[in-house]
Amino acid sequence: MKQLTALQQQGRRSNSFRNASSPLDATVEGAIKSPATIFWLILHGLCCLISLVLGFRFSRLVFFLILSPSSSPSTTTIYSAIQTTLPSSTTTPPPERNVSAAGGGSRVVVGRHGILIRPWPHPDPAEVMKAHRIIERVQMEQRSQYGVKNPRTVIAITPTYVRTFQTLHLTGVMHSLMNVPYDLLWIVVEAGGATNETASLIAKSGLKTIHIGFNGKMPVLWEDRHKLESRMRLHALSIVREKRLDGVVMFADDSNMHSLELFDEIQNVKWIGAISVGILAHSGGSEEGDLPVVQRDDNEKDERKPPQVPVQGPACNSSNHFVGWHTFNTLPFVERSARYIGDRAVVLPRKLEWAGFVLNSRLVWEDSLDKPVWVKEWEEVGKDEEDIESPLSLLKDTSVVEPLGSCGRKVLLWWLRVEARADSKFPARWIIDPPLEITVPAKLTPWPDAPPELPSSVEKAITIPENGIVNTEKRPPKSRR
Amino acid sequence: MGFCMWVLLFLPLFLWSSVGEKGIGRGSVPTERIAGSAGDVLEDNPVGKLKVYVYELPSKYNKKVLQKDPRCLTHMFAAEIFMHQFLLSSPVRTLNPSEADWFYTPVYTTCDLAPNGLPLPFKSPRMMRSAIQLISTKWPYWNRTEGADHFFLVPHDFGACFHYQEEKAIKRGILPLLQRATLVQTFGQRNHVCLNEGSITIPPYAPPEKMQSHLIPPDTPRSIFVYFRGLFYDVNNDPEGGYYARGARASIWENFKNNPLFDISTDHPTTYYEDMQRSIFCLCPLGWAPWSPRLVEAVIFGCIPVIIADDIVLPFADAIPWEEIGVFVAEKDVPYLDTILTSIPVEVVLRKQRLLANPSMKQAMLFPQPAQPRDAFHQILNGLARKLPHGKKIFLKPGQKILNWTAGPVGDMKPW
Amino acid sequence: MGSSERSKKKVHLWKKAIVHFMLCFVMGFFTGFAPTSKPSIFSSSVTMSLSSTYSPQPVEVFHQEKAQSFNRSLLDETEPESTTPREEKKENEELNVKRLVIVVTTISRRNKLRAVLLRRLANTLKLVAEPLLWIVVEQKIDDSEVSEILRKTGIMYRHVVFKENFTDVSSEMDHQRNMALNHIEHHRLSGIVHFAGLSNVYDLSFFEEIRAVEAFGTWPMAKLTANRKKVKIEGPVCDSSEVIGWHLKRMNNLTDISGPPPIHISSFAFNSSILWDPERWGRTSSAQDTSQNSLRYVRKEVLEEETKLKGIPKEGCSKILLWDVQISKEQ
Repeated sequence: MKQLTALQQQGRRSNSFRNASSPLDATVEGAIKSPATIFWLILHGLCCLISLVLGFRFSRLVFFLILSPSSSPSTTTIYSAIQTTLPSSTTTPPPERNVSAAGGGSRVVVGRHGILIRPWPHPDPAEVMKAHRIIERVQMEQRSQYGVKNPRTVIAITPTYVRTFQTLHLTGVMHSLMNVPYDLLWIVVEAGGATNETASLIAKSGLKTIHIGFNGKMPVLWEDRHKLESRMRLHALSIVREKRLDGVVMFADDSNMHSLELFDEIQNVKWIGAISVGILAHSGGSEEGDLPVVQRDDNEKDERKPPQVPVQGPACNSSNHFVGWHTFNTLPFVERSARYIGDRAVVLPRKLEWAGFVLNSRLVWEDSLDKPVWVKEWEEVGKDEEDIESPLSLLKDTSVVEPLGSCGRKVLLWWLRVEARADSKFPARWIIDPPLEITVPAKLTPWPDAPPELPSSVEKAITIPENGIVNTEKRPPKSRR
Repeated sequence: MGFCMWVLLFLPLFLWSSVGEKGIGRGSVPTERIAGSAGDVLEDNPVGKLKVYVYELPSKYNKKVLQKDPRCLTHMFAAEIFMHQFLLSSPVRTLNPSEADWFYTPVYTTCDLAPNGLPLPFKSPRMMRSAIQLISTKWPYWNRTEGADHFFLVPHDFGACFHYQEEKAIKRGILPLLQRATLVQTFGQRNHVCLNEGSITIPPYAPPEKMQSHLIPPDTPRSIFVYFRGLFYDVNNDPEGGYYARGARASIWENFKNNPLFDISTDHPTTYYEDMQRSIFCLCPLGWAPWSPRLVEAVIFGCIPVIIADDIVLPFADAIPWEEIGVFVAEKDVPYLDTILTSIPVEVVLRKQRLLANPSMKQAMLFPQPAQPRDAFHQILNGLARKLPHGKKIFLKPGQKILNWTAGPVGDMKPW
Repeated sequence: MGSSERSKKKVHLWKKAIVHFMLCFVMGFFTGFAPTSKPSIFSSSVTMSLSSTYSPQPVEVFHQEKAQSFNRSLLDETEPESTTPREEKKENEELNVKRLVIVVTTISRRNKLRAVLLRRLANTLKLVAEPLLWIVVEQKIDDSEVSEILRKTGIMYRHVVFKENFTDVSSEMDHQRNMALNHIEHHRLSGIVHFAGLSNVYDLSFFEEIRAVEAFGTWPMAKLTANRKKVKIEGPVCDSSEVIGWHLKRMNNLTDISGPPPIHISSFAFNSSILWDPERWGRTSSAQDTSQNSLRYVRKEVLEEETKLKGIPKEGCSKILLWDVQISKEQ
């Protein structure tokens, strides 16, 4: 009878052990018995546990002792399981890993190894950010080591005005300027007066800016427009003169696209430098039968050679001396060049573009000590409207121009005059405000209010009327799914 | 209560082992060391410090082998050929063997390529044996020392063990006849049967002109954090996985393929060299052997080598401060590569880059044609010069023999 | 109970106890031999799976503990595993942890303005806060000016090349996009994927907005054409960030009006994990769908998963952040 209860207790004990709740269960049972029995039971359970642990330990020891001398690849694992206090470091790999190979003095395991795969699969975002910081620092260091020493401030002059393409163009130029690693001052001259629209746009750049208005609305005729822009640039130069701004003046038109190398290259200018401008003559964007985007001046001899972009800029002889100008060949575009901005034809540069010149700002200062003699008096410049086609008008002698960019051979700047028609409309500040009440439940009434076919080739477009109303289609109700 | 005694006896054992486990120190970032005079050692000019006698062997040992397969001129082991050409016109060469400090046997043992271009050194032991037999009978100098003042170029995977499989190479061991000679080899792993003490570890051959032609301006911003191109699994030779690169390369792929910082792939792009020049870290994990040409490429292109090969012995380790310019990661720590590399302080990264920019470091990695001061040829000579003067012990007494000409596999005994 | 009986019982009990202890010991002993894929409570540190070492699958799983102890000794500032969420958040804020943006740009050999436009796009992307990965796809040629331009940008990019020749530009572009998606899938890159055309111009805040995309995001874009009067707006109409309709691209195509309108390739972004972990998005992974034509799969998903489709910017997707200029017909 007693034996039977002992047996039961034993069963319960082993049960309780498996449940890992130690001798607690047993005490409840044993409470009926004498305290000695309780103590006895607890001790019994405890010793059972200890022997279990010991058994486990012992087996590991045996495992290690038996298997370590063999060349089994699994020994690495065992070693790390029964680890001794050997400090590991990356420079001196811990000796416990060097289990001897079959014969010889090699201590590196030869044979099969496990492929270590960690359980966390994704890169730690904090580490990714740290890596990017390292990259950033390395690039900074490269710039300071190989880049321009003692860079001058870059003074960028941009004439602009509010229109459909303004945001797009100005954003492009702004992004170029924001990448300039030097001090930069951006003078934005706006035709028709400074607007909030432009101001909010350039404020996004975080650059030092001077935003000024200019009296006079932008004309529609391309020739007049070019003249007005020249006067706007001149106006900006007069600010440079008045404020005695020191640095390199560049003309960043909002129709320009820049290679960032340009900003390093212009640091080399002493007084007035000229750079080559790639002219991207553009056909007008209609889908059929237009001019090729870039006219090739010679027959395609080599298929693999990239097409030659027509270039306007300084020309050098073989000994790298400035001899004259590459001008844009307008011949292929005769009859197809634009008179009005918004003509369905190519907008071409007029003579030499301002964008192709950079100046030392001291050239326009009122009293610069080392100002060269070949500079015209400021008051003389711009008296005659025709004279200010380009910064060359500032000079008495144009042979002093310094050709930049491997003597004009390197094109670091492109000119692409693309505009919408002058009467084009766009949502103010590009915020569309579709009145929701006009959305049509598509399923029920398939376009009862479908507008008539639009003229010319715009039928695929949705029009943005002046009030900004947009035709929209109601999606099928979500509950359907 | 004998039982309790028993418990008391074993308890300390249990405690000890559990405490022991807690003490595992994980790998730490390589510590920065104060730059030694390593640069000065690289500047050494070996001319005047040693004289080398070049044995004149029948062309079947060198020129004819090369004629048979000119591809030997461009593969990783081409150092044995260029070293010969270099020595022939080098000012350290002497035509008078009696005044020579070192003897060189020009034998191209690794220029035996399989149709696919892989060098398989099956005939090398017999070839080497035959060459030694020839010089030991034709000249008296071998027998004086049994090769202790001779050096040999054995740039193959496992050096003078002459087998491409590590297990077989270990079994073979260094060719018995070369036991006393100084071996100039690419293979370097500490405590390995295929690396003799006193061997000179050299960089693998990488074509200098080709690398030169891919140089891009040093201001090209480095925009890749970690770069690697090469195999992760060698499915053909190691279908099960785990043998190749001791699993380290597979581990790199499995853990970091999804990491945008790790530009790793098996495709070799045409811009491989340019990409290395715009990387900050270049992984140099072991392959079948602990070294790879990436070591040389990384140094040339200023990309910090991340060396993943336990116990590797690096080229000219006595002259090039590898720990200063590179990062060492233990094979078992590969899963933590991202943590290890991102936690290196940026100052340390910049310092490593500055050291890597040192032209003498790059020069020591190359075997240019023609040779230039401080290049790898000169570093080999410097290594040989530093072993001079030879100890008196190397010279054998008349009639004394140490080498066993009949040792080694039976196959090696066949005439070449 | 007699004393003899008692002592007898005592001996019996002793015997029993010893048998139990032995049994437990043997049990423990064999437990030690058993494969320990899960860390034993007794071993506090590294436990690598023994079974996996023997199994043909050459994979060993580390115990998480290892990483912790590793980090502790390696890093003094960051211990991602052991820090409390709040600390982690603070640290992340300090490091400005952001979602990865994967920008995919395809380049046609026919686009003669590609070099210039690529520079313009690079100037924009260089200003975007990291992390950003730019995948540029191009037909393989020996002397690529594209790789030279990319190299000088300093942006983290991957230049993916392919050998196939195409006669049709749009199928080439689709092939290129699939190449990029395959790269993302193969590498299991995790981020928000956006196809940036060469002729696109971005407001910088665009890239911050799309980081908020959970599954799919869409936004209106303006398509401008030179020398025209009209401005096209394409994309969603939203109520807050919920998409409730679309600005129509094709109004004359009344036949398939029941389906949502086709969406411009630059007009949506998606979480890359739908490429390599479709199960997570409640889809059965159809290998054909994903690897053969990932692009079609993604486009389908964008339009079908309307509940997961989010309008950008959050405030009613009414602000245009992306313009596309039609300069050359190739783009």
